Amino acid sequence: MSTSTTDLTPDHDDHEAVPLLERMPGRGSAAAWPLALVGAALLIAGSFLSWSFPDDVLGDLSVNFYPNGLQLCVVALGIAAVIFLLAYRGPLSRLGDWLDAASALRWIGLGAVIYMAATIIAIGWQTGAILNVNPGGWITLIGALLLLAGSLMLVSRNTRDPLFAKTSSWFEIITIIVLLALVLFGAAYALGLEDAVSFALFLLFAGMLSMALTKAGVFTWLGVVSQKNRQVLMFGAFAVAFLFPFTQGGSDENMSIATQVLIFAATALGLNIVVGLAGLLDLGYIAFLGAGAYVGAILSNSAFATIGWKPPFIVVVLIGALVSAILGLIIGSPTLRVSGDYLAIVTLAFGEIFRFTMGNLDGNNGPDLTNGPNGIPAIPDLKFGSFDFGQPHEVFGITLGRFANYYFLLLVIAAFIIFVFIRLNNSRIGRGWVAIREDEKAAEAMGVNVFGLKLFAFAGGAFLAGMAGTVKAHHDVSVTPDQYIFLESAFLLAAVVLGGMGTVAGVLVGATILKLLPEKLRFIADYRLMIFGLVLVLMMRFRPEGLIASQRRKLEFHHDDEDLAQRIEEVHLEEAEAKA
Amino acid sequence: MTEFLQQIVNGLTLGSLYALIAVGYTVVYGIVQLINFAHGEVFMIGAFGALATWTVLFKGQTGLWVLPIMVLGAVLVSVLTAVVMERIAYRPLRGAPRLAPLITAIGISVFLQEAVRLFYPGAKSKLTFPEIEVVTGSALSIGGLQIQRAAIFTVGALVVSAVLLWFFVNRTRLGQGMQAVSQDPDTAQLMGINVNRIIVIAFAVGAALAAIAGVAQGLLNSNIDFRMGFLAGLKAFTAAVLGGIGNIQGAVVGGLTLGIAESMATQFIPGQFGGSAWKDVWAFVLLILVLVFRPQGLLGARVVDRA
Amino acid sequence: MAQRSVMTVGASLLVASLALAGCGDRGDETSGTGDTGGDAKVAKIGVIAPLSGDLSALGKGIQHSVELAVKQANDSKAIPGWTLEVEAVDDEGKAEVGKNGATKLAADDQIVGVVGNLNSSVSQQTQPVFAAANITQISPANTGPSLTRGADGNTRPYKTFFRTCTTDIAQGGFAAKFLIEQGIKTVATIHDKKTYGQGLVQYFTEAYKAAGGTVVAAETINPDESNYAPVVSKVAPSKPGAVFYGGEYPQAGPLSKQMKAGGLNVPLMGGDGIYDPKFIELAGSTSNNDLATSVGEPTENTEAGKKFLAEYEAAKFAEPAAAYGGYSYDAANAIIEALKTSLKDAEDAKSARQATVDAVGKVSFDGVTGKVSFDEFGDTLVKVITGYKVEGGKWASVKSENVS
Repeated sequence: MSTSTTDLTPDHDDHEAVPLLERMPGRGSAAAWPLALVGAALLIAGSFLSWSFPDDVLGDLSVNFYPNGLQLCVVALGIAAVIFLLAYRGPLSRLGDWLDAASALRWIGLGAVIYMAATIIAIGWQTGAILNVNPGGWITLIGALLLLAGSLMLVSRNTRDPLFAKTSSWFEIITIIVLLALVLFGAAYALGLEDAVSFALFLLFAGMLSMALTKAGVFTWLGVVSQKNRQVLMFGAFAVAFLFPFTQGGSDENMSIATQVLIFAATALGLNIVVGLAGLLDLGYIAFLGAGAYVGAILSNSAFATIGWKPPFIVVVLIGALVSAILGLIIGSPTLRVSGDYLAIVTLAFGEIFRFTMGNLDGNNGPDLTNGPNGIPAIPDLKFGSFDFGQPHEVFGITLGRFANYYFLLLVIAAFIIFVFIRLNNSRIGRGWVAIREDEKAAEAMGVNVFGLKLFAFAGGAFLAGMAGTVKAHHDVSVTPDQYIFLESAFLLAAVVLGGMGTVAGVLVGATILKLLPEKLRFIADYRLMIFGLVLVLMMRFRPEGLIASQRRKLEFHHDDEDLAQRIEEVHLEEAEAKA
Repeated sequence: MTEFLQQIVNGLTLGSLYALIAVGYTVVYGIVQLINFAHGEVFMIGAFGALATWTVLFKGQTGLWVLPIMVLGAVLVSVLTAVVMERIAYRPLRGAPRLAPLITAIGISVFLQEAVRLFYPGAKSKLTFPEIEVVTGSALSIGGLQIQRAAIFTVGALVVSAVLLWFFVNRTRLGQGMQAVSQDPDTAQLMGINVNRIIVIAFAVGAALAAIAGVAQGLLNSNIDFRMGFLAGLKAFTAAVLGGIGNIQGAVVGGLTLGIAESMATQFIPGQFGGSAWKDVWAFVLLILVLVFRPQGLLGARVVDRA
Repeated sequence: MAQRSVMTVGASLLVASLALAGCGDRGDETSGTGDTGGDAKVAKIGVIAPLSGDLSALGKGIQHSVELAVKQANDSKAIPGWTLEVEAVDDEGKAEVGKNGATKLAADDQIVGVVGNLNSSVSQQTQPVFAAANITQISPANTGPSLTRGADGNTRPYKTFFRTCTTDIAQGGFAAKFLIEQGIKTVATIHDKKTYGQGLVQYFTEAYKAAGGTVVAAETINPDESNYAPVVSKVAPSKPGAVFYGGEYPQAGPLSKQMKAGGLNVPLMGGDGIYDPKFIELAGSTSNNDLATSVGEPTENTEAGKKFLAEYEAAKFAEPAAAYGGYSYDAANAIIEALKTSLKDAEDAKSARQATVDAVGKVSFDGVTGKVSFDEFGDTLVKVITGYKVEGGKWASVKSENVS
């Protein structure tokens, strides 16, 4: 334990929030802790009671002493609250030396109050009368309010930075495994929720709990741990992704969403090389996916394919990726002369040219290659030997449908892309990109081959997107130009920005959010684009570095945060020491 | 020959439309070096503002006298949109990395399109733009040339706007303030010019011209829809770059050039790669070529090398 | 030392996660009992059409006509032991959206048949989806010949696809003759490059030339465009007697208006895609004398059509039946007719899908638009086409003919 490090309080509370918090009546009083404990107890107890009179609202919340999923979520919040309370004062107080329990409690309290209020409103709304809320619901709400009040009165203890916490490696690995299992389980559970309100509530629960853990500093520690045990994490994550179809009981509905997420994520990862690593804004990236898809379609067995040549699929993948990469080279070549906003506009123009061209090459306005706006329909399913991707298969007694087949194929491609991405990022090339991103002129002066690396970023990213595109053609059954409009490029960019530029996890999270939420929250379906636009604006205003940002990236957007800069420097120093 | 002149007329009409929108890009870029990507949406909202004014106040009227009031309505709505957009979304990002305002602009663009689609009655499909006497109706025939009445309105609107804009920029205190800020914002501020106010005015001026273009397009095409801003905005940006971004005369010249180039491509590029199907492609090819080989544009940009 | 307490937390987290793992399936056990009682089993008829966007006027008419047919079948207990429901999804007239909608319908085990799509280009994408799931698809409006006759014109690509309207081969031929009869011997063609527009123009051109007419110019437009001045200027010098447009009214209306504003004062003619009041609204006051053809007789001209329109009126739907109301009603009734045999002994809706496809091929009854029955390609045997003209701001029928 390197005790020499200073006890910096991490940036837990927002700067504006602190004074407001200090004006809270009864702040620091002795009653705070017991009050919160009573609240947490009520929260747990209330969840075991019936919440609603009718049994057809939000699943079934009407049975005493047999909580359903939504109620168990509150139980989980309550247990987490008790743990943090004990960490604040009591048997777990050593834990409280590292984690900011008071902040976490505030978020748990807030989350519980919002969650319960939303639930009660939903019950009232769906049954038409607030009277239908049973005492259990009200008790839980009171518990949530007490917890929030108590936690607001608690004063944060002085904690040490969890960045420097030392934990044994087997414990870290178990934590990662448990966490991943939770993710798998949570995803399967959430996707199984048919009801949009239940789904939204579960999201609220997951979001607030992670917020609490972030504020406590758990995620800071997790960040260090996952850095240290990268292999375990990667392997575990793939195991989870691999196991996911088996949780779906042969249903194709969620698998179809999952495959779309994977295609989208694979493309976004390619874009992340261009935007996140090399810092070149590309607004026409969907064209690369489209190029791959068109190659996949034209060389397929579809009756509408315009070229007679039908090579095996593996060859098609390579050709698609290469065509895409060549397009990438062409689109990248202006980077020799233009950069910044102008480059963004050039790429946008290329994207539009691609779409128009695909819509025109129908024999009337150019050679017949793409069938114009009608696209190429009826692309048959892939077949590897006797394995037909269109047919369901039985594995370990669980039926895996058509989309599950494509899911596994796409998973392999995504894994390949992630592998390439990480290797590139940690290589000389990756450092060159970062140098270009930070300061092109300086990089050039230091002997970085700026133009070559920029071209490579475009071509490499395009290659990966083209690969995904060839599979997409078969997965989608048809390829049409209107799948490759500007808005799709904007979505890809949003996935990268939303999740966090330059990180793999961030892009995966961003892609999942952008594809999954509109599918699940049907009631916002019509408003989803409007919300999307609003989210982009708000993100740029309040968290430009994305949800999961690398610390270095964070600093780029917050120059004046001395505290952050110092912490990053310390971590770097310590890493250097450890290596020496 | 008639075909050639006919396409020149078409090109000038289209080009006037581009020029009116392009001024908005150029004025804002000249002052804050920001590509206001959502400007196309301001144009679209102008058209809807005009239609709303007509629907609420004069439904069924076709007299020419309603046109100025429609234009006024359009300008009001557009200017309001642009000013609010600047205040809420762009101003807080001044000094942020250059990626941030561009992504914000895309966000605003999507948001505005969707807001109109969802909340303007009937805007989910194309809306018919009112027919106004004198400026719509059967074509005028001059020496074998067929000239749309709305085309005359469009070109006229550009001429009047350009004269007024020239007067504003060169002969008024505010206009001279704008020039000062675009040359050196810091010094301008030291000289007592309220830079924030100048920026708001730049947004407003651009929005007003875009609104007029919105009305013109409504009259020309006889219908409007919520998507009309995207492609028009992109073309207008091309025009601004073509003329030299930051340069107001450049925007006008660039707009007209682009319009004529597009019309000529429709008529005179032979074979399968000609015709109206490819004209947008040629416009974008032109954009790329200009950006790569002459980024300062035809007339030279006010601000060079803003990477 | 610190490790120990951290571990305690880990253990508690594990407990919490196990508790969470209990979240589960209880809902099904209790609520599942409600439905399986003595109530009738449910089978659904899907509707897939543009319910929003430019073509929604036609799409809504399709949806409501199917709703009417299903309501009548339920009221008369046409299929004992079963209740029919309508599940409508929006395809926005776009291929991509349509395919996703079709996937969604196909995943619903209660769906036995689908009425749709409106656009041939969308059906091209939805056909394979429904075919893979063995779901009967009957389109009330797709006139693109290749949908039933394949790319080569002689092999049926999907056994599950039928249509109640006739094809563009019949329509294009009739349109050519109709135009010549109006005394117009030269024409310029424009289409939107989509399956429907392109096909219609192709069959029209063949028939028009055969009938002695001349095509003086052939152009295309991009479907998402709204300024047609360049194309009008390009066509105008060839001085055509009319412009034949292959496509739908959202483009045709403005095109007609811009033609006349651009000095090309000749009628615009189109197929069933422009035969809608919305065309006249978009084309404005200069649309008089514009021409269109549409499949079938005008609904209000026949006894069965009048009865249908009266019933539709009585059901108080928000939108009118529009051009394809009668065809949609007939399509829905063809499915219902087939379900009478296929659902009779079926365990559940999904297992009756194949039997439904077989039965639809054999139906034969008198519908709103004439006799409803299908040939070996899935095409209707009734090939009545009507020519229309805009007169005084309204479509007026000029003549009808059976072109089979």
